[in-house]
Amino acid sequence: MESVTSTVLTSRATTPAINRPNSVAVGTIVWLGSEVMFFAGLFAIYFTLRSTSPDLWAASTEKLNVPFATINTIILVISSFWCQFGVFAAERMQPRRTGWKPTQWGMVEWFFLTYAFGAIFVAGQVWEYATLVSEHVTLSSDAYGSAFYLTTGFHALHVTGGLIAFLLVIGRVFAVKNFGHKEATSAIVVSYYWHFVDVVWIGLFLVIYVLK
Amino acid sequence: MRVNAVLLWVLSVFFLLSAAVYGFWTWLDSGDDQRIEAVGTIGMFLCAVLAAFIAFYVGRVHSAQGGELPEDRLDANIDDGDAELGFFSPWSWWPLLLGASVAVSFLGLAVGFWLTYCAVGLVLISLVGWVYEYYRGLFAR
Repeated sequence: MESVTSTVLTSRATTPAINRPNSVAVGTIVWLGSEVMFFAGLFAIYFTLRSTSPDLWAASTEKLNVPFATINTIILVISSFWCQFGVFAAERMQPRRTGWKPTQWGMVEWFFLTYAFGAIFVAGQVWEYATLVSEHVTLSSDAYGSAFYLTTGFHALHVTGGLIAFLLVIGRVFAVKNFGHKEATSAIVVSYYWHFVDVVWIGLFLVIYVLK
Repeated sequence: MRVNAVLLWVLSVFFLLSAAVYGFWTWLDSGDDQRIEAVGTIGMFLCAVLAAFIAFYVGRVHSAQGGELPEDRLDANIDDGDAELGFFSPWSWWPLLLGASVAVSFLGLAVGFWLTYCAVGLVLISLVGWVYEYYRGLFAR
């Protein structure tokens, strides 16, 4: 029996096992690319009107409450960090907390915290709009008002959409008995969207409140 | 995937150069008021951002997948690519209902705001129905 071999005789597959790209994640990124171009249009509106009426811009940007907007911006940026901690929890397949310490939190707790910070940001925007309207900067008052409310307003709508998406993703966790890759994927793509909206706001903040 | 990433990086560099040349040219051509034409410059610059953004992500995905996909290999067989690609809904009424209810809510903005109040309810129902379609009934897990 010396000549008997235990080597497996079946041939190896031609291609090695590879991780196929997640089509949901790649699709989300391509869609966010199209969102870049949507905001490109808004930035183009803003800069064109700014270059045609510099005096109006000089007078209107005086009315902006820059410290308030800075704090609001910081709140939105922090919410992105909470969101990322939620993604880390989703990636270790931990939907809920195992204790009260933040290191033991699951995706749901981090996403609720992100939601709270995002909601504070939108509420701050509403307060800022109300103040500006009382100072006679409205959507139809002049070119500055149109440009300001179009750019920041469409951004605020995106943030609101992101808040709804967080609720739907949290709802999916409560809808299943076992948290799986499908739920983790939806958490990750919502985080992509949230980070994107956050970066767009940093761009808008620099253009509207810093560059004026 | 590597080719996809390289193509998008090339596109990104192209748009970046276009934006720079266009911005400079319109500044030269603007006469006394010396301003850059914003629409084209921003449009082309953000086209560069668009391409770089997708290129970066595709590059990350490529380096994480640990090898080339069967469709990128000349020596692969058809059945090497028949692994599970993801979940695809075979059919669904929800996207149709969602699209229709969003259309009605925007119609309300144009013709009479009362219509939007009704449509928002429809949007909520169809959005939740669409997101949770494969979480209910036979698909509950």
